[in-house]
Amino acid sequence: MIDLLTVPFMRHTLIAGVLVALGLAPLSVYVVLRRIVFVGAAVAEISSAGVALAVLFQVEPFAVALVLTVLTFLGFSRAADSPRLPLEALIGMLYAGGSAAAVLLIVKAPRGEGEILNVLFGNILTVPVALLWAMVATFAIVGALQFFASKELLISAYDPDMARALGINVNLWNTVFYVALGFAVAIAIRGVGALLTFTLLVAPGAAALCFVRGLGAAFVVATTMGLVATVAGVFASYLFDFPTGPTIVAILAAVFALSYGYAAIRGT
Amino acid sequence: MANELVSVRGVTLGYGSRIILKNLNFAIQRGDFMGVMGPNGSGKTTLLKALLGLLTPIGGSIDLTPHDGVPLRIGYVTQRERLDSHFPLSSLEVAVMGRFGMIGAMRRPRRQDYEIARGCLRRVGMEHRAALPYRELSGGQQQRVLIARALAGEPDLLLLDEPTNGMDLEAERAIMELLLDLQSEKSTTIVFVTHLLSAIEHFARRVALITRDGTVVIGAKEQMLAPETIARAYAAQEL
Repeated sequence: MIDLLTVPFMRHTLIAGVLVALGLAPLSVYVVLRRIVFVGAAVAEISSAGVALAVLFQVEPFAVALVLTVLTFLGFSRAADSPRLPLEALIGMLYAGGSAAAVLLIVKAPRGEGEILNVLFGNILTVPVALLWAMVATFAIVGALQFFASKELLISAYDPDMARALGINVNLWNTVFYVALGFAVAIAIRGVGALLTFTLLVAPGAAALCFVRGLGAAFVVATTMGLVATVAGVFASYLFDFPTGPTIVAILAAVFALSYGYAAIRGT
Repeated sequence: MANELVSVRGVTLGYGSRIILKNLNFAIQRGDFMGVMGPNGSGKTTLLKALLGLLTPIGGSIDLTPHDGVPLRIGYVTQRERLDSHFPLSSLEVAVMGRFGMIGAMRRPRRQDYEIARGCLRRVGMEHRAALPYRELSGGQQQRVLIARALAGEPDLLLLDEPTNGMDLEAERAIMELLLDLQSEKSTTIVFVTHLLSAIEHFARRVALITRDGTVVIGAKEQMLAPETIARAYAAQEL
């Protein structure tokens, strides 16, 4: 199994997997608690529309996708407190609208659909070194933000009225959270694809919340689960010649199923 | 007046063009133990939000008197039903939130913040539940933790939104007696909003009654609980 580390592209795959797991798994706790789990799926569609648009007009696809992703999350931060509509309705409409726009734009794009999908959804087996460094920088900043602004992020999500009464700017911190999430999701989709990004934004947090008894423990357990499942997935895909992304997703799904079953048996 | 902690002068409250409460004039005195009552939808929570600074008055002013030159600190006890039970927070983690406004941006709570929060849990008889998940506590225990959370911010004024909602009479009595103890122990000014006449009748010293025409009348409990006063305030709801 150690052979894997001697193959350069598999080394990159492993590093990319570890970075994405370290970056997204802690975020997944808040994504689940804030009830925005489908945000990853909706943003992937928005991002794909952006890439198709960029290809159509022959500009840098990732830059357009990044800007659109961050703008979408910025919109979520404004809509989070809306008394008019639950946030999930907005997420659903963005998913539908983004999908339709992507298909319509891809049809008219000068390059082939396969090429666009590769630019958009990335492939964990072909992550370039420059993107690995961009991941390191992005996830380090997002991680530091989560650590140092833990109290602002927590109380803004848990009890916004209390937060405002304490003088904490809930709108500002919601915006910071969603923009950070936007950067993390955009770079993760570019590196490892939409499916793995979406799964890492949900499964580790959901699995951890099944049995932890404290929020601090939820972050530690979610990160550990995300990391172990990703590394196991990379090794399993190498050993059994499976596609890497779906293998990691399958392991994360199994981890969640076991955690959920454990919680159900314990009655928690 | 030197004894006034909060002074409400000519205040009109509402959302957009919708006026909920108008021309409010009253004061909250230092050491008050005041109950705010009124029919459902009369504007009790709106008034509370305005006192907390969460809602800017359409007209008039709300003045908070500084305490020894330090801006007035308000502790807020939210309705416990509004808190999401999916958050896996221990009682201590909930209580320490009361310190968040005093710590500074991008700084994590320190050991002394947790010690103060633990001390507040002790004051409300919940220190032995500090490590337990908040969501696994009974309604009365959760209310105590939320009161501890508000106390952790060392407030001059404690505002409580429906503190005994959904509780049986025994639990209601326990919570209200705890508040009375806290008030007499440190002269903390306490204002609680409730739709339950029993909490007002048995425990409040002064009563603010929100009437059907959107004004607030304040007086001694005996005067405000007179049948004709209550009938006037609640008439609109019965129609």
